Amino acid sequence: MKISKGDIFDRVFINEPGLNLHIEQEAGSQVKIVVINLENPTSPDLEISNQIFIEQLGEGCQTEVYALAFLHGEEKVTTETHVLHAVGGGRSNQLVKFVLDDNARGRFIGDLKIAQDAQQTEAHQTNRNLLLSDTAEMRTQPQLEIYADDVKATHGASTGQLDESALFYMQQRGIDPKKARQLLVNAFMKEVLNKISDETIKENLLNAIDSVIEEA
Amino acid sequence: MHICKKSSTFAAANYNWYMVNDKMANHLLVIKDLHASIGGKEILKGVNLVINEGEVHAIMGPNGAGKSTLSAVLTGNPAYEVTSGEVYLKGENLLEMAPEVRARAGVFLSFQYPVEIPGVSMTTFMRTAINEKRAYEGKEPLSAKEFLALMREKKKLLELPDKLNNRSVNEGFSGGEKKKNEIFQMAMLEPCLSILDETDSGLDIDALRIVAEGVNRLKTPQNASIVITHYQRLLDYIVPDFVHVLADGQIVKTGDKTLALELEEHGYENL
Repeated sequence: MKISKGDIFDRVFINEPGLNLHIEQEAGSQVKIVVINLENPTSPDLEISNQIFIEQLGEGCQTEVYALAFLHGEEKVTTETHVLHAVGGGRSNQLVKFVLDDNARGRFIGDLKIAQDAQQTEAHQTNRNLLLSDTAEMRTQPQLEIYADDVKATHGASTGQLDESALFYMQQRGIDPKKARQLLVNAFMKEVLNKISDETIKENLLNAIDSVIEEA
Repeated sequence: MHICKKSSTFAAANYNWYMVNDKMANHLLVIKDLHASIGGKEILKGVNLVINEGEVHAIMGPNGAGKSTLSAVLTGNPAYEVTSGEVYLKGENLLEMAPEVRARAGVFLSFQYPVEIPGVSMTTFMRTAINEKRAYEGKEPLSAKEFLALMREKKKLLELPDKLNNRSVNEGFSGGEKKKNEIFQMAMLEPCLSILDETDSGLDIDALRIVAEGVNRLKTPQNASIVITHYQRLLDYIVPDFVHVLADGQIVKTGDKTLALELEEHGYENL
C-alpha cells in the first residue's frame, strides 16, 4: 500500500489475527496505526501474528505505531514491526504493550532501521510488558540498525509486575485488591487506547475495559 | 487516656489492665503488647497504647525506633509480620481485618511517601474509594454530581487546584502537593483514626501550615489522630494531647505537649 505525498493514513485494527501490513510512505505523509488484541476471536490454540512493515521513502514523513495485547489462558500473540527510514527528516514513534495473564505468551520483534541517507531522523521505540501471573512469558527482540550519524533515536524495553506499593496504597484507601489490580492494569492499557483518533472506537474500548472494573 | 506498658515504672502506677480489657469497646483504639517484625527482624517489641475519640497522640522517637513500622502494622501492610499482641478498633479485632476493610472501618494512613499511580485519575481513585466505604456502611454510592461537589468542597480546604481531578494520583506532584493530597483524601474519607506518618517531612513552611490547618479543621470529638514525627516543628501547629516516645520498639515515655519541647532541647539520648 502506498500513502501518497502529504496524505494521512490513520487506522485501528482490533482483534485481527494474521494482520499483515505493508506501507510505503511518500514525502510528508502521515501514518498512524493502532493494533489492539483484547481477545482471541478464533481458536485459543492459534498463534496470532501481527506484522507491520513501514518504509519512509520520501522526506519528512511521520509514522506512529501503537500496539496493545491483553492475553489470557493459552493465547499467543506476536507483534512484529519493521520501520525503515530510507530518507531524512522523518519521525517515527512506536509504543508496544503486552499484558499477559495465565499461561499467555507474548512476543515483540521490533526492527528499526535508519539508512545512511536518512539524516535528521527522529525515531523512538518503546516496549512495556506487564506480567499478571508467574507462568506468563514475554519475549522481546528489539533490533536497531542505525547507519546515519545525525539522528535522534531511543529505544527501551521493560517487563514487570504490578506495583505492589501502588496496590497497598489503594487498599489503604478502602479499594478492594481485585479492583485495585484492575485499575492499574487498565491504566497501563489506556496509554495505548488513548492514541486512537476515532472517538467512538476509543470510548467503546475504554468503556469495555472499565466495565470489567464495575463487575469486579 | 492510658499508657499501658506493663514493664515500665510509668505505666504500672495507676493502670488497671483488666478494666481496659472489659471495656475494650469504649476506646477507639487499644494496642496490647504488640510485637512485629520485618524480614525476621523484630522492630516492635511490646507496644501498648490506648486512644480515645477526640484525642491527638504524637509519637516521637529516633530513626529506627519503629514509628513507621507501627503505622504499617496498624494498616495491615503485608511486608510486616505481627508476631504477638492484639489491636482493637472500637472493640473489633483490627489485626484480623484485611487492609481494605481496616480502611473502610475508618483507619487512614497519610503515607510518608505517597505512591504515584500513573494513568489512574484522582477522580477515579477517590470515587472508587468513597463508594467502597459507603457500600461497607450500607449506603448508596454517591452520584457523579454529589461526588464532584464533595471533591470541590474538600479541595478548597487544602488549597488544591481544580485541575487535580484529571491528574493521575500523585504523578508529578511536588513534595508539598503530595502531602496536601494525603490530607485531601483524609478529608474525603472522614476516618475515625488518622495516622499521619512524618507528614511534615519535605514540607516548606507554607505547605506545612496548610496541611496542619487542614488536619485541625478535620478534628471532631468523634475522631482521633496519631501524629508520627521526628521533629517538634509539626506539633507547633497540630497540638497533641499526649506525646509518646518510641525507642527500640517500645513506648518508653509519655507526657503532654511539653515533652516534645523537652525532646527538642535535649534529644533522645537522655531517655
